[in-house]
Amino acid sequence: MKFMSDLSKEDRKMVNSIAWRSLNAHCSRVGGQARQMAIGFLWQIMPALDRYYKDQPEKKREAMERHVQFCNVSNAIYPFLAGIVASMEKENSEVDDFDTSSIVAVKAALMGPLAGIGDSLLFSVVRVIAASIGISFALQGSILGPIIFFLIYNTCTMILRFGSAYVGFASGRQFITSMYKNGTLSILTKCAGMLGLIMVGAMTASTVKFSTAIMIPIAGGDPVALQSSLDTLFLGLVPLLLTFGCKKMLDKNVNINYIMLGILALSIVMAVLHIV
Amino acid sequence: MLKVALLSALAYFICYGGNWLIGQNMADRPIVIGAVTGLLLGDLGQGLIIGATLEAVFMGSVNIGGQISADHSAATVFAVAFATNAALKPSAALTIAVPIGILMGFVTMGVNNVLLTAFAPLMDKWAHEGNEKGLLIYLNFGVWFVKNLFFSAIVFLGVYLGYNAVAAFVDAIPPVIMTGLTVCGQLLPAVGLALLMKMIWSTEIGIYYLLGFVLYNYFKLPIIAVATVGIILVVLTAYRDMEINKLQRQHVTAGNESNNDSELEDFLQ
Repeated sequence: MKFMSDLSKEDRKMVNSIAWRSLNAHCSRVGGQARQMAIGFLWQIMPALDRYYKDQPEKKREAMERHVQFCNVSNAIYPFLAGIVASMEKENSEVDDFDTSSIVAVKAALMGPLAGIGDSLLFSVVRVIAASIGISFALQGSILGPIIFFLIYNTCTMILRFGSAYVGFASGRQFITSMYKNGTLSILTKCAGMLGLIMVGAMTASTVKFSTAIMIPIAGGDPVALQSSLDTLFLGLVPLLLTFGCKKMLDKNVNINYIMLGILALSIVMAVLHIV
Repeated sequence: MLKVALLSALAYFICYGGNWLIGQNMADRPIVIGAVTGLLLGDLGQGLIIGATLEAVFMGSVNIGGQISADHSAATVFAVAFATNAALKPSAALTIAVPIGILMGFVTMGVNNVLLTAFAPLMDKWAHEGNEKGLLIYLNFGVWFVKNLFFSAIVFLGVYLGYNAVAAFVDAIPPVIMTGLTVCGQLLPAVGLALLMKMIWSTEIGIYYLLGFVLYNYFKLPIIAVATVGIILVVLTAYRDMEINKLQRQHVTAGNESNNDSELEDFLQ
């Protein structure tokens, strides 16, 4: 690819480092469901932050705050996102009026589709093929079974890991700078924000789940499940209201700790009262 | 039994912990962890066959979080440990492995989805202070180590105390707590997503959030299809905005037409 060829030695060093670090990106899941693999993203992007914000500690701290927020992409394709973000952080380090919300928007727009592609490619295709070959050997008591399974799967992910890191960084770098110079970056910010919000909406629908067990007794008839009435009203009403409620509270600077504790307490209470 | 339990816990730590430490490399899958447990316990053949059997059983399950599903790694370790010691048939070992699988599924879900959420404010605080060591060493690798040590300790206890004790313990967990924690794990992503939404929200584009929600829930589109619809809308909007941008600039500097948008157009094609 033509835009890949003009990477400097320093660029290559950084991109390789991002790809290697992506190996450890899923190790702790600290921050639980509210952050998912965010700390792993910070771990990957750190070589870029170290390089570009060497003399700008303030901007570096801001970048770190940006990258401990909710993020989740399949492990082996994570470097693609980190590569693109690295190119945006580079631009931000070089100019003063870069709109950093575009970085968050690009992350939000890409993480859902990347996680979807990565999970289905790796878990449903590569893993199943590798396992079916491995099982046939292992059932005959051959040690080759697990070894073949392990090698097939991990060779594929390593290729994907490095390839996606380079493509992400090189394509990001090519477009971000020129857009900034054109004054079209504000359009990118808006469009990435649009796609980001669409994807956050879809992720809300796919990850936030609620279903009540309450039955409404009907005199002289079968009881009706409250959930089916709620579903008729609006499918996914409770998750939607909960997410908006959380956003409203965050807008009012309610401590995020209290929000999460509230959800935990609410869940237990609902379970005790047989609401769920 | 002490030695068997220790070696089983070690196999779990290496394979399950190793899977998450290094690139989700699938060492926690039954086919691999079964062989490793068998190797450590001195009966590789049994480990291979049980691992392969359970791999086929658990083919469809991948730990993605959110739902409680039986932990296939703990189940495999347990099955191999008992099959090598009590001379069980591989098929019987599967039945015996289910309770500890459920227990571990419950524990890992509780820790990963609920308990670890407590660290979220500390992440923000340390990021604000620029505490790289705290974030990257303590929270990334430190949490990994402690967490997996804890999980391995449960495998140790399970193998040491035996099947009956584990089954009795699983039965004794109040269903209210199980449901409560499951529900909590299913509701908590709302906080993370709300924060993300807050960061990119603007009144002009806020309504698109609902579009994604409805496309997924009502139209039942897979996430990739939602993204495709989103990209179509975004490209149309980008072209329109660039036209407006161009017209405005022509208006301001009349006659001085520029060709600045060509690179974005290349990008979007």
